[in-house]
Order: sequence, then structure tokens, then C-alpha cells
Amino acid sequence: MNSSLKQISLNLILIILAFSIQTCVFPLIPFLSAYPNLMLILIFSFGFIRGSASGMTYGLVAGLLMDLSSGGALGFYTLFFIWMGYVNGIGTKYYYEDYITLPLALSAANELAYNLYLYVFGFLLRGRLSFGYYLINNILPETIFTVVTTLAVYRVFLFISRKMEEIGKRRDTTIV
Amino acid sequence: MKNTRYVLFGLSVLCVCMIGITTLNSGLLNPLRDAVGYVLVPIQSGINRAGSGIYNEVRNLGTMKKAQKENEALKARVDELTEENTRLRSEQQELERLRELYELDSQYMQYNKVGARIIAKDTGSWFSVFRIDKGSDDGIMENMNVIAGGGLVGIVTDVGANYATVRSIIDDSSRVSAMAQQSGDTCMVSGDLKLFNEGRLKLGYMEKDDDIKDGDMIVTSNISEKFLPGLLIGYATDITVDYNDNLTKSGYVIPAARFDRLQEVLVITDLKNAGPEFNEQ
Repeated sequence: MNSSLKQISLNLILIILAFSIQTCVFPLIPFLSAYPNLMLILIFSFGFIRGSASGMTYGLVAGLLMDLSSGGALGFYTLFFIWMGYVNGIGTKYYYEDYITLPLALSAANELAYNLYLYVFGFLLRGRLSFGYYLINNILPETIFTVVTTLAVYRVFLFISRKMEEIGKRRDTTIV
Repeated sequence: MKNTRYVLFGLSVLCVCMIGITTLNSGLLNPLRDAVGYVLVPIQSGINRAGSGIYNEVRNLGTMKKAQKENEALKARVDELTEENTRLRSEQQELERLRELYELDSQYMQYNKVGARIIAKDTGSWFSVFRIDKGSDDGIMENMNVIAGGGLVGIVTDVGANYATVRSIIDDSSRVSAMAQQSGDTCMVSGDLKLFNEGRLKLGYMEKDDDIKDGDMIVTSNISEKFLPGLLIGYATDITVDYNDNLTKSGYVIPAARFDRLQEVLVITDLKNAGPEFNEQ
């Protein structure tokens, strides 16, 4: 009981930390023209490492956080993120411990899908048609930053995930 | 595995329903938003304060030399400006006298303002929305105008107990009813993600005969629904007669506020519909 509470709070802290860094710290760095999407990396990594159910839960919590702090309609980000967590969870089958190529490819694919989602519902529906321009000036820079950050952060998340699994296992043994 | 799929579809349907409901009535969310705000805002303002402290420290070291040189230049400039100021002050007195003569209300620039610090920005580059550390507890209300550096920055779109969300005028969906200060001809200033990368806003809805020229001051108009009249937006540039109908003109506005360096803003606590005269409540 105690250790599962510990796991939940650890996960929550991780999400809030990622969110705060993304909204408060990155905008302060003046030479960044785009910044990496940490929330996205967090959700898809945990989905990919731990499976659909965890990915979806992560997506749900992170999405709600973003929805409630963005001031838009509730559910806009949540809808995308639960699907992202779920779909990346399917990839768990192909998951090897120290294998970085697939996470990088996933990171790029997720980032593109996410930006496409924002473009279609935030811009295309209001008649902004020049997708090519947005692709070059908004989507690609952010994707590149995100992929590079994934390279650095993915192993940290992997480490945290393993630690959390250990906490979970310790609980099982103490019960038995 | 089956179960997760059911949960996924259930949540998706729920999300779509919530998007529908909250688009129609966003007031439903206020208690939830407040709750999230109580947790998040202290963290965000803490990180922001620490982050900008470090950043400023680093920048200070780098700019010390430049600052010394600048200091000398500025001292000379201060003398110049003091002289100019005395001249302007006497002119101001003359203006006031003339205004009294004409019984004109000097209604501009008398708005009540509250200072606020920007603590967070949007998660990506698509929307130009930011969050400030003052909310309904400090008297902030929806539709209040936000200014900084002498120019209009945006409008409060959403208020929590201890934070408020501001949509800047450079946001792609922002439209501000404006006019040229000299001629009073109305126009529309709209944000455009594409143009903002070039540091501009779009200026449209002008008749061909309107007297708006390059370099004119563009201010918020008297007929705007949410923006107080007479707030400086920026300066007109590249105004051309539209090629396709030859009846309208369009151009660009260079905003007066520096959006890339915003840290503190002023929220004008007078609301347009109340008017500056009725601010006692």
C-alpha cells in the first residue's frame, strides 16, 4: 500500500516537473527558437517502456494538467495524449532495454502527429492553409529539438522506470 | 488488453463530450482550474523566479562592460531628455489648459493598473498564450487589457483564483479593432503566426480612401468591444492598396511591445463596458 502510494506520487511529481520545466524554464532560454516537448517524451516513453495501460494513465493525467492550465476546452489535449499513450504501448512488444533507435523514431512520429493534430484543429479549421510554411517554421524545429532531447532524456526515464519497478517488486516480496 | 481498449474508447468518448460541453460553457471548469492553479502556480512562480534569477545573473556578468559604456551614453541622453522634458511639461500644461477650454475629458492614460509577472508560457510554439501570477484574488477579471513597454500586449481570457491566462495580440486567433491615431479611421489588427516570425501583425479592413500612412500610430479604437480606447498597438508599415478589388487597403503593424522579452506586464483593471468614469466599484 505504502509503496504503491510512493509510486503514484513519484509519477505525479515527474509529470508536474516536466510540465513546469517546459512552461517556465524553456521560454527563459533566449537562444532557443523552439523548445522540446518534454510532456510528449514523458508520455510516449512510459507508454513504450511499460505498456498501453500505463501509457494511457500517463496521457490522461498529463493531458488533464495541460487542458486545465491552457484555458481551452477540457479534453482537447487529453484526447490526443491517451491515444498516444495507448498506441505507443502497443510497441512494448519490440522493446529492448538499451535500444535507442526505435524510441527516437517513435519520438519523431509522435511529435509530427501531435503537431498535425494542433495544426488541424487550431489552424486549418480557421482557414490557415499554408501547411508548408508551418511545417518548416514550427513543426520541424520542434521535432528536431524533441528528438535530440529524447536521446538525452530517454535513458533517465528508463532508469526511473526500473527503479519504480523495483519498488513494486519489493512490495510483492514483503507481502509474500 | 481487451480492458484497456474499452477504457480507451470510454475515455475518448468522454473527452469528446467534455470538449463539446466546455466549449459551450467554460464556467463549469473554474473550480477544477482553481484547484490545479493552487498546486501549480506556486511551483511555476518558484521555478520562474529561480530561473530568471540565474539567467539575469549570467546575463549581468556578460553585459557589465557594455553597460558601462552605455551608462556614459545614457548620461548624456538624460541631460538631453531633462531639457526636453521641461519643454514638454510646459507644453503639457498648455495642453491641459486648452483641454479645459474645450471641455475635453482627458480620458486616456488614466486607467488603473496592476503589475503582474509572467510565470509560464504555452507548451509549444503554436499559440501565444501566457500565464501571470495574479488572479481573481487580486481583482483580475476576464477581458481586462494587458499592456507592457507602452504597448498593448493582450487580453485576459481566463481567470483562476491566483493566476490568469492572457492571450497576446500576436496569437494567430487574436483580432483587435483599431484606428489610426491621427485620422481616426478604423482598421483591424490581427495576429498571424506566420507574420509574427517576421515581427509584424496584420493590418486590414481599411478603405482605399482612409488616411492611414506608413509610420502612423495604430491605437485601439473607440468602437472595440473589449479593448479600451487609445492604447498604443504599434506603427503601421507597408500599406498598399489591395490589388484584387482596388477598394481596400492592407498593411502591417510593428508592435510597440517587445514580445520576445516580456517578463512583467501591467493589467488594466478598468473594463471597457464599465468605462473609465465608473471605476469606483
